[in-house]
Amino acid sequence: MPDSTEELSLLETLDHLLDRGVVIAGEAVISIGDVDLLYLGLNVVLANVDSLMRARQRKP
Amino acid sequence: MKLVVVGAHLRREDIEPVAEAVPVGEVFLSGVPVEDDQPLGDRELLLRVARIRAELLERATFVAIRYGFASSSPAAKALPHAGRWKALLEEHRGRVEMTLKVAAANPKKRPDRRDFTSGAAYMRALHERTNVDDAFREEVERTLVPLSVRHVWSAGELAMLIERAKLEELREAGEKLKATKVPFLLSGPWPLEVFADADRE
Amino acid sequence: MLIANDEEALREQLAFTESMIPERIAADPEVVENGLARLVLSIIELVRRLLEKQALRRMDAGNLSEEEIERLGSALMKLEEKMGEMKAVFGLSDEDLNLKLGPIKTL
Repeated sequence: MPDSTEELSLLETLDHLLDRGVVIAGEAVISIGDVDLLYLGLNVVLANVDSLMRARQRKP
Repeated sequence: MKLVVVGAHLRREDIEPVAEAVPVGEVFLSGVPVEDDQPLGDRELLLRVARIRAELLERATFVAIRYGFASSSPAAKALPHAGRWKALLEEHRGRVEMTLKVAAANPKKRPDRRDFTSGAAYMRALHERTNVDDAFREEVERTLVPLSVRHVWSAGELAMLIERAKLEELREAGEKLKATKVPFLLSGPWPLEVFADADRE
Repeated sequence: MLIANDEEALREQLAFTESMIPERIAADPEVVENGLARLVLSIIELVRRLLEKQALRRMDAGNLSEEEIERLGSALMKLEEKMGEMKAVFGLSDEDLNLKLGPIKTL
């Protein structure tokens, strides 16, 4: 597939953008027991649900 | 208006005019201005920020801030980190990160949780899958790692900190690595990500 | 720079990132309901994968106690179990939860 290297490159770029880097504002933290595991991922994800809701409201 | 924060940089000129610069302590944050109600989980925005990150990296290395932090006044939350970032940026001037991901030996055969009664055993089985073939690992340690200033293996991935001048040599070494037939992905350059973490050396 | 050896095998490994960026959900009311279930479950599946990856990184860093490893493993197993149940309830398969990136434009 001619697209596949491009897609792989995109996936890799997004992986670095979303799953790496310094966390400044850890408002959303998923912990298991006392082990903090995930920060901020929820901001991105929750924003999607929000835009979905607004898309529904805009429907005639 | 809020700013989607991209990174922390040493100088204002490392940022402008590609992005907006916000002074924080003795460093500067880079940010992409968006509408207040702009959802962050937007594909177009993500791609745009990714592009901007790449452009910024071409100018100078920076500390990558994980995507998802957007604020009209980001300086306050970033301030406690500014001193540490300045030290990092000065130490690693002219350096970038490169990542080597190695495919699991058998990606289709994931451990089945029903075969396990203990959580620890399940974790260990999952962890086993991230182990890199010994011969391949040795080859990487022999040909790629010496080109780096620092390196760390974590869950089947190798992160390397290298001088920009070594990028071409690393690319050549990466091409030669294909001969091993082990599926891998060498990507970069990236800003300081793994090597900007507080709990890592 | 991107040097890849055997992209197929790698795609399987990186597959989890494909579901990160949802395509636009249809505004058609009949489609939306099932679309919502799919979206919610895809998000939970994404979170599960990220949790697993992060747990493995922490194990490698060597700063987890035996008890923490046990707790993490059990929680991940439980999460997988619950995901399986929910998928069955909504009649969704693994394929259904793997949202595509949509047409790829050049970066």
